[in-house]
Amino acid sequence: MIHLLNTLNYTLFLYYVACNLIYLVALIVAIKASVAHQRQLEGHRLHWINDSPMAPPITLIAPAHNEELSIRVAIRNLMNLDYPELEIIVVNDGSVDRTLDALKDEFDLYPIRVVRIQEVPSAVVRATYKSRQDPRLWVIDKEAGGSKADAVNAGLNSATSPYVCIVDSDSILERDALLRIMIPVMADPKRVVGVGGIIRVLNGSVIEKGRLQRVRLPRKGIEMIQVVEYLRAFLIGREAWAQGNMMMIISGAFGLFRTDLVRAVGGYRARAIGEDLDLVTRLHRYLLDKGADYQIGFLPDPVCWTEVPSDLRSLGRQRARWQKGLLDTLLSNHDMLFRPRYGRIGFLALPYLWLFELFAPVIEIGGIGTILLAVATGVLNHHFFLQFMILGYAFATMISIGSVLQEEITYKRYNQWQDVVRLVSVCFFEHFPYRQLHMIWRLQGLWQFLRGDMTWKPLNRQGLDSAKVT
Amino acid sequence: MASAFDMMRRYGPATFLTKAIIAAIIADVLLLAFIFLRRAYRNRHFVKRDARLMEFRSKWDALLSGQLPYESWRANPFDRRIVEEIALDAFEVAGSDESARLLRFLRASGLIEKRIFEARKHRGWRRHRALVALGRTRAPEGIPALSEGLRDSKVETRNAALRGLGRMGSTEAAEEILTWIAEVGLVVPALPLQNALINCCRERPQILLPYLRHAADPVREVLGRALGEVASPLLGLDLLELVDDRQPEIRAAAARALANTQPGHALEALIELTRDVVWYVRLRAVVALGKLHRPEALPHFVKALTDSNRLVRMRAAEALIDQGADMIPIFRSVVATKDRYGLHGYLAALENAGLRASLEAKLKETNTLPKDEVELLLQVLHSASLPDMPEGPTSVEVAALGSHL
Repeated sequence: MIHLLNTLNYTLFLYYVACNLIYLVALIVAIKASVAHQRQLEGHRLHWINDSPMAPPITLIAPAHNEELSIRVAIRNLMNLDYPELEIIVVNDGSVDRTLDALKDEFDLYPIRVVRIQEVPSAVVRATYKSRQDPRLWVIDKEAGGSKADAVNAGLNSATSPYVCIVDSDSILERDALLRIMIPVMADPKRVVGVGGIIRVLNGSVIEKGRLQRVRLPRKGIEMIQVVEYLRAFLIGREAWAQGNMMMIISGAFGLFRTDLVRAVGGYRARAIGEDLDLVTRLHRYLLDKGADYQIGFLPDPVCWTEVPSDLRSLGRQRARWQKGLLDTLLSNHDMLFRPRYGRIGFLALPYLWLFELFAPVIEIGGIGTILLAVATGVLNHHFFLQFMILGYAFATMISIGSVLQEEITYKRYNQWQDVVRLVSVCFFEHFPYRQLHMIWRLQGLWQFLRGDMTWKPLNRQGLDSAKVT
Repeated sequence: MASAFDMMRRYGPATFLTKAIIAAIIADVLLLAFIFLRRAYRNRHFVKRDARLMEFRSKWDALLSGQLPYESWRANPFDRRIVEEIALDAFEVAGSDESARLLRFLRASGLIEKRIFEARKHRGWRRHRALVALGRTRAPEGIPALSEGLRDSKVETRNAALRGLGRMGSTEAAEEILTWIAEVGLVVPALPLQNALINCCRERPQILLPYLRHAADPVREVLGRALGEVASPLLGLDLLELVDDRQPEIRAAAARALANTQPGHALEALIELTRDVVWYVRLRAVVALGKLHRPEALPHFVKALTDSNRLVRMRAAEALIDQGADMIPIFRSVVATKDRYGLHGYLAALENAGLRASLEAKLKETNTLPKDEVELLLQVLHSASLPDMPEGPTSVEVAALGSHL
């Protein structure tokens, strides 16, 4: 027993050291990359893209399922975006609320007949509408397909542009987001096949006529913790992985892809739980199978603001779903692991996801149990235990503050002093008990997947009213 | 109470952890201090910069004319950056007189000299910044320095030089780029190169032609696409030789370019290209043909409605609507093709243009067609499906469409 506890403790210690070293390296790489990106931007003017006749057209696809509360503001926001060649396709995915009526009222829609070629599978389309106010806006009304993936696929079938940008219909894009996300595409359209932007927390900010007018931190602690989480995930995690061309996820709330490639891989997998991770993984697989020289990138300055859950129950459901999605994708692509053909994706990115993302809740919750047991049985010295905890706390705080630093030295969206003070203070308080709760939710997700519980549990939404809409 | 050092000694094997804790706490404190100090510094910096910016703007005319001595701001990098930024931004929107005035100022103040020096001496991002800024000055004396940048071993530097030359927007800059790609081939991504060439060749698109004739394949495609964007009526006859090019990219570019030339030259060539084997050549030809607004093109749009490619069908339908011709004969011809995809494409374009009701009304009013045919056409319009029709002179109808209108 004592031998077992000792072995477990050593294993956990090594896991912990490896995990933190990865975070530290990621932080350093991300800061370096962000500074380089800022310098690169100095030589650009966004209006050059806007004025260029070679700017490739983009189709924005916004799937909407019961988004009555936010759809008007969100679509108005899309129509206000700066980009020379834009097509906006809103897919009403069998909403049972007044989403379609809201769209009809707001944008003066009229039905049209179009020929549709089902290049990727999706549920039956009931009707297609076009806006009299803005000819760029199309609305596809389809039967519920049971997933966001199905709705996006319906949009993909109708898209006519060489690039598609998938956005959530409860999110707000910054006005220049498309111009910014196209910078790497315009620089090297052959290699760059997908680009992800950053997702930030909208709750607490002020929106006016579909545009974000003032950025403020949310009031609730649970929302503020998510602000730091998002900063950490995007400004450190994705920024660092993208430097090695190992981006495994482009957020479903805001990502740009080459249309032909998304169609070539069969669009989104309708039964995928984490459809965004699944799509990027399949794109990697497809391109590596073909031996293509390609890049899937991340940019930290095209910003999408999205509403995050503001109650524990919804947050728990969301995180459990993400974990289920992760397991689902990793299992369906397990044959990519350690295969030379898949290079760094098979040898680095996927093993990282397995070990430090998928198993993290199991190891962390299990680790807490064994450590407490070891302390109780005297196998582990009390002082050592205390030190270990303090180190864990100080290090995790450092990484969180690092993400705030990234925000500060580069993109600085929170201009008020008091917002920064609150943001920094969250870095000290998020580790207990939120972190443990988070691990339990993720563990629940794994358990639900193993039980075969794939139901999509709705989250409580305040619509874009979580921000002040005027 | 034991001191921290006593505790460290007592912990023995845990000293590593203690050191790690101290390091992590110091890192936390340093990061926090950096965040807050930097924020305070930047607040001050922006207040100062805004004040200086306002001051320079208020004295802008004096500054441009040299009444405010250049030495008063040039030696200070903070002031120099502000003045240069104001001048370069003004350049982006200036007319010819104002551009000349700004250029005189940039020369007289030494800002261009400084940028040329930086573009040659610096490395890395400083050089990239200098190259782009030099391009934004549009000063021809900057071209040699930009040209050196094009021949750099690093692709980022080549890209920056290319962007700079693109911002120049002059024929000299275009020649520099064209000479360079003739020497080295395609060593930068195609799109930035196209953008730069488009910006630089607008005034004299004909300079692209000799390079296009002699360039190797990937470069030819880029040059062809640039030509497609900037072609002017003057190029008419020169473009015709590209219609038979072996590369589809060039044929597509020729089609695009022909839309900007005299219809007399373009019509036959474009009609020929609507029958090309490559779909995007046919697409470009249909779009270009639509821009000519010639009735002779109508039968070819109807034919293109039956194309195997969806985009070609869509554009052909849109072109048919855009021509503004009498809708009834066109609709008859579309129905006569007996192509369901073509019919749907045409009806979709009709509905998108809000003309469906208008066609229906015209069909009801017309007295030039037999009643049963009108009934049939109305039925097709309502149901969007083709009934079983007797074989008629469909190909003749289609061919004769242009001459009827």
